[in-house]
Amino acid sequence: MTDSIQRRSGPLFAAPALLGLVVFVAVPFALAVVLAFTNLRLGSPLPTEFVGAEQFRRIFAEPAFVRALLNNTLFALVVVPLQTLLALALALLLHQRLKGRAFFRTLFFAPVVFPLSLVAVVWVLIYAPGPEGMMNGFLRAVTFGAWIPRDFLRDPVLALPAIMLTSIWQGAGFQMVILLAGLQGIPGELYEAAAMDGAGRWGQFQHVTLPQLRNTLSFTVLVTSILAFRLFDQVQIMTRGGPRNATTTVMFEAVQASFGRQQVAKGAAMTVVLFLVVLAITGVQRWVARQGREVG
Amino acid sequence: MGRLLSYGGLALAASLFLAPIAFMIVGSLKPDERVLLDAGSMAAFVPEGASLQNYRDVLARVPFARYLLNSALISSMIVAGGLAVNSLAGYAFSRIRWRGRDPLFALVPAIMVIPLEAIAVPLFYQVTLFGWRDTYVVQILPFVANAFSIYLFYTFFLGLPRELEEAARMDGAGALRTFLWVVVPNSRPVFTTAAILTFLTQWGAFLWPLMVTSAERVRPLPLAVSTFYSLPPLQWGDIFAFGVMMVAPILGVFLVFQRWFVRGVVTTGIKG
Amino acid sequence: MLSNYVLALLLAFVLLGCEQQQPPGAVPHLSVWAHAGQAAERKVLEKQVQRFNVQQDDLRLDLTFIPERTYNAQVQAAAIAGDLPDLLELDGPYIANYAWQGHLVTLDDLLSRAIRADLLPSIVAQGTYRDRLYGVGAFDSGLALYARRDVLDQAEIRIPQHPRGAWTRDEFDALLLSLRDSDEDGAVLDLKLNYPDEWFSYAFSPLIQSAGGDLVRRDDYQSAQGALNSRGAVLAMTALQGWMQQGLVDPNLDDAAFVSGRVALSWAGHWDYPRYKDALGDALALVPLPDFGKGTRTGQGSWVWSITRKCSDPEGAVRFVEFLLQPAEILAITETNGAVPATRSAIALSPAYREGGPLHLFVTQLAEGYAVPRPQTPAYPVISSAFRRAFADIRSGAPVRQVLDDAVVLIDQDIRDNQGYAPVEDP
Repeated sequence: MTDSIQRRSGPLFAAPALLGLVVFVAVPFALAVVLAFTNLRLGSPLPTEFVGAEQFRRIFAEPAFVRALLNNTLFALVVVPLQTLLALALALLLHQRLKGRAFFRTLFFAPVVFPLSLVAVVWVLIYAPGPEGMMNGFLRAVTFGAWIPRDFLRDPVLALPAIMLTSIWQGAGFQMVILLAGLQGIPGELYEAAAMDGAGRWGQFQHVTLPQLRNTLSFTVLVTSILAFRLFDQVQIMTRGGPRNATTTVMFEAVQASFGRQQVAKGAAMTVVLFLVVLAITGVQRWVARQGREVG
Repeated sequence: MGRLLSYGGLALAASLFLAPIAFMIVGSLKPDERVLLDAGSMAAFVPEGASLQNYRDVLARVPFARYLLNSALISSMIVAGGLAVNSLAGYAFSRIRWRGRDPLFALVPAIMVIPLEAIAVPLFYQVTLFGWRDTYVVQILPFVANAFSIYLFYTFFLGLPRELEEAARMDGAGALRTFLWVVVPNSRPVFTTAAILTFLTQWGAFLWPLMVTSAERVRPLPLAVSTFYSLPPLQWGDIFAFGVMMVAPILGVFLVFQRWFVRGVVTTGIKG
Repeated sequence: MLSNYVLALLLAFVLLGCEQQQPPGAVPHLSVWAHAGQAAERKVLEKQVQRFNVQQDDLRLDLTFIPERTYNAQVQAAAIAGDLPDLLELDGPYIANYAWQGHLVTLDDLLSRAIRADLLPSIVAQGTYRDRLYGVGAFDSGLALYARRDVLDQAEIRIPQHPRGAWTRDEFDALLLSLRDSDEDGAVLDLKLNYPDEWFSYAFSPLIQSAGGDLVRRDDYQSAQGALNSRGAVLAMTALQGWMQQGLVDPNLDDAAFVSGRVALSWAGHWDYPRYKDALGDALALVPLPDFGKGTRTGQGSWVWSITRKCSDPEGAVRFVEFLLQPAEILAITETNGAVPATRSAIALSPAYREGGPLHLFVTQLAEGYAVPRPQTPAYPVISSAFRRAFADIRSGAPVRQVLDDAVVLIDQDIRDNQGYAPVEDP
């Protein structure tokens, strides 16, 4: 096989996938960016015009959208560490040679298999107000009757945490499986060496496990953060953005604007902002990971 | 002592994780009124008066088999197409030197960041232009090429030992032959991983099918849930039965393939 | 082995794809969309289509059901894609928007005069936009309070028989409290809070209207200022908020608060009548909504049949609509969904709705002007969306005036953006 044949096969192999990405992702996104500068309305017989940055000015003047950005950020700041910690703890537990490992592994992964829309429906009942709700019942049992039943999904303070819990339940298993794989890739000799240097369980964790797990951790943290900004299904089904915007997210506002109020251009502007935010976060995280790699 | 703590921790976590699932399964076996009534106590987990009536109701209210077939067809085609197309691209980027490779590859992580929801409306206009509404094609084709899958294959192929390909080359095999007969058979873990991840994502797809289909004959399972939600009175037992029927197939698939999946993640080098 | 599996998949794909083609035939087909209501309702419509297809040879109708909850979104998506059917049901208040977008054909010249004269005035009002008729429904809706006669009698609460005698605001507050005293969980009123979206605008704007406010200014439909945030509107919404905050309203997650006896009053529509009647029998009473100052008001409007520009045979489509408006056909549907028949001749034949029938209150409300149509403006989708969000916030305890002011801002901005929804082309 000559080099030139090899060379030709490169573009040929990559072409179908690249074509797909360009046609179905890059082009629509470019279109979305363009739309964000117009006043396009869904189905309107009026002509569409360019309005410059008007849509952007408007969305940042809307309390709902600003709150949505805040909620997304809050959501990411809470869910990412909590879910990661939980996943790490579970992975560590399952890394030991315990009986029934496969059963537990499947169990913790099971929620990941549920479509988000179904998860939301089940949790609506779990959060049902009054003593009939499972969460209320659970908290009452755990506090020996001290808990007053609450309407979680309509409580301005508890609504977002309620959704956070649902997401963590649904997402922890996926992170756990990846972290478990990462743990299984750490050579045993490193632990032995550390033990010989006098390190106890905690020391081994600090100086062997964590550094070796660094790349896996940063990958899962990255994916979870990106998903946190795309939060939509649970809000749509469980709270509709309420109460008083306490749980609204950027994607929910964008879909409401585009389809609920026929304001497509405004929705497009919101998603462009979302993209920029996610790109920034991805950039920061990859930069941090690279720094760490250089030092460590 | 440590072992006891570990088991204890696992048991606690397991019961908390299991609770919603058990609630759903048990609820699917109860008459509708009892589902809500029992939710506040341990009775939620006790299948008193268990029957399969809800399952029968679901099958009567909704052409479940049709929805299931649609979901299976769409997800399978996306997976099949994706495995072919994305693995080839991943291989091209990692193993073949060609002009324009590096700048084109830089596109991939950038595209990974774009969520479906951001492009949903323009893509909707686009596929409307193509005349693809109410088809299977419109639910399959846009999702075959996938930046995340490409990246996955890319990382994996980077770690493959070169000797295999060099041996094939010395036997006079072309690039495609090498790929098909040497690389692919040795890459089962990554193919499995990509297949499962893609399948899981696509099985639950809701927003896109909602936008581009109205005919029941092409709609996937998640849209059937909305049928339930709109017909009063709300029958929670039926909804749960539907949920169980919707999740059981994939859970089954996962159970069968899970060993390969974990191994796939390890050697794929996602961790590194 | 894998390749066999792939082959089988491809084959299935191809076969299923082929199923979509229609065999070429001589008889023109018209596509018809309807909302997927209760199973019984769907069956009736299917039979009606069958009967129509069988009794004449000029047309064949192909019926498709679309899930109700996402119905309007689907129709809108199809409209943009140029994929609308020839004939479809539309939720009444959305007619104005689709007519403005230019998708609908006016029925003024197509519908027979005789039938038009027989229609209830509310039906005509609902389907009219800018003085042209764009849609006709086979039935209208009824909204009122269902009550447990025995519980009310025991608490010595009078039961009004005519909208004139509706409970006043003070009376209503007092009776809620007195009902609460003998109620187990303190919740005595069911407002169907579990219902999806369009319910809120339909069910609660009448209370605002009864208090003197409205969703939008109806003189020129250019603004909601002074309507949605008027004193009357604030009064009505504050009352609603009060009832909910005081625990008088059942969250109704299982949609069974009234039938299971947890509440004595249910603010509900005609579609609940069959279920309620089954559960309560003679103990069921129908009462007009409370009067908050300007007289009791109630909602109206339901599914309406419209013909799209795409239709190749509007006269044929109208023949089907007129078929559906025959008294026997109207009664076939209304007997299953409990709705109010659209024509006076059908009402006279309906045991439930004719003079003296248990549901005659609905007819009275519709015929004597107590029912107010939802604003017939293309701005309605935005109005409904804004109101729904406002209601959710008010339910959570937000300050009523501020929430309504915010809704007004949203609505007014949209009307301005669309240049007042002036007609774009002459239909």
